[in-house]
Amino acid sequence: MNPSRATLGLLFLLAGCGAPGPQPPAAQARLEDANVRGASQLRAGDHAGAARRYEDAMRIARSLDDADSVAVNSINLSIVYQRMGRDADARAVLAPLVAEERNAYSATRRMQAELRMAIIVLAARDTAGASAWARRAQERCQALSCAQLPAIQNVLAQAALESGDAAGAATLAEAAADRARQQDDKSETANALRLAGRAQRALGNAPAAVQVLQQALDIDRELADPRKIMADLLELAHASLAAGNKQAARDYQERATTISRTLKDDK
Amino acid sequence: MSKGFTPPVRFTRLVLKVNAFLLIALLLVGAFMGLVAYKQGWFIQQTPINFVTRNSLGINKGMPVKLYGFTVGTVSDMQLAQNGVAVKLSIISSHMERIPKGSRAKFARESGVVGASVIEIIPGRSDQPLGEDEYIDFEPSRGLSEIIDDFRRQAVPAFQEIKQVMSQFNRGSEEVTSAMISLRREIDRLPETHRAVQKLLDTATRATENIERVTATVDRAAPALVGKLSTTLDSLNSAAGSIQRTGKEAEEVMRRLKPALELGEATARDASDIVSAAKRSWPLKESFKPSEALLPIDSFESYGIGAPQK
Repeated sequence: MNPSRATLGLLFLLAGCGAPGPQPPAAQARLEDANVRGASQLRAGDHAGAARRYEDAMRIARSLDDADSVAVNSINLSIVYQRMGRDADARAVLAPLVAEERNAYSATRRMQAELRMAIIVLAARDTAGASAWARRAQERCQALSCAQLPAIQNVLAQAALESGDAAGAATLAEAAADRARQQDDKSETANALRLAGRAQRALGNAPAAVQVLQQALDIDRELADPRKIMADLLELAHASLAAGNKQAARDYQERATTISRTLKDDK
Repeated sequence: MSKGFTPPVRFTRLVLKVNAFLLIALLLVGAFMGLVAYKQGWFIQQTPINFVTRNSLGINKGMPVKLYGFTVGTVSDMQLAQNGVAVKLSIISSHMERIPKGSRAKFARESGVVGASVIEIIPGRSDQPLGEDEYIDFEPSRGLSEIIDDFRRQAVPAFQEIKQVMSQFNRGSEEVTSAMISLRREIDRLPETHRAVQKLLDTATRATENIERVTATVDRAAPALVGKLSTTLDSLNSAAGSIQRTGKEAEEVMRRLKPALELGEATARDASDIVSAAKRSWPLKESFKPSEALLPIDSFESYGIGAPQK
């Protein structure tokens, strides 16, 4: 008999041994469906639709008294609200998770909520507040040996950079990049490299900054996130200008402007 | 008393007989050893070649080496090396010309997944034959789990496509249903529209009578105008008739379409049930495990890029 046919036959024979698993309860299925649709709408750029889905998911999770799902949907809603510019709502939805008193949420979810809080606060340019939240998240993360350590280090690095501590930011960003590479987390690797490039420019080492930012751009192009590519190009324009390469700076600036216009047109 | 020893008659030429016996025994032992050596291939000239594998599980000394399914040698030696295990193959020298440079060794089983394990030589494309003691590349075999993984990798996009098509079909049938509901609503309103048109016609008829009276008083001064008005009224009448006919036809189409739509909905529901049952079955359920609902937490959000400008 043909070996490939025999393999296929064997596979189907084995597949026949497996009966369909138990059907999830209807409410649980609706919860999963709302989550899947929310993520899909967020990917498609429909923030309002995604928010509605996650709000539905939150209601279902509350009705099921499912603390972990409530926490997950709170964090997801905070991401969507922040993208919609509803920073106050984003913070409010996380407030129960990060409350100091004993609550029903796991240490992992609390750490994730604290990290999100640090990100939201830093986006509002409150570097001190962001550092405080990020350190809280870092303490929990180290105890849990969590996967979010590179993201936390990146937030700390950005807060340090925006507070004027370029050397500290460079050290933190390099540590974040190393950790992210170990975890094969390309997104955080690129974020760390971008921060390292910014820190190098602030330290007056523009050629090194261009080199590092180019690496970040390569990764972000692979990830195909236009917002990150635009940020890389803008940083490259600044670094090239600082390195005395006006032509390259103009080129990067124009490419960033094209992306920005396209994003505005899409909206 | 000094009489010499005389051997008995039956032991005459005893030394010669013993020597002949020993010689025959020696010859037999030699022949046996020669046969064994021949069977073991000791008289066949062999050329050693090597490869290095990271994992020598399943490879043993004496394992046959096959080229196009034909045995051309054996695994003769295995040694721990820097990056794994160095495996020496003894290939019958007369077959070496069929193993060019760039050939690869592969761990395989005679019947695919099951059967005796062998080392298979996959010939390269070079014109030069492989030299003595040269190293060739080694391809580890794919285990059952890797084959299943491969199948899963190929099957998952297909199932996702089916899922997408089903959801699109579901959405499509929802849109058709809503369009039909709107059409039905319009059809329900047709008698009302018809009444309104009839009323308009009555009014127009009364207006015509008035005009006729007026025209009579002006001594039939404008007969042409009356004719035009009459034509317009005829047109209005026929338009109302057309609307009524269209309404009836639409109702008929609706009646015909309804079973097809119901069938389509039922089929979509069945297909959805089949897909969800398949998703809960081994081995696909591992691929369709509900993914972590948490969105990735990206530190890039702290740049504040992407939120609408306030």
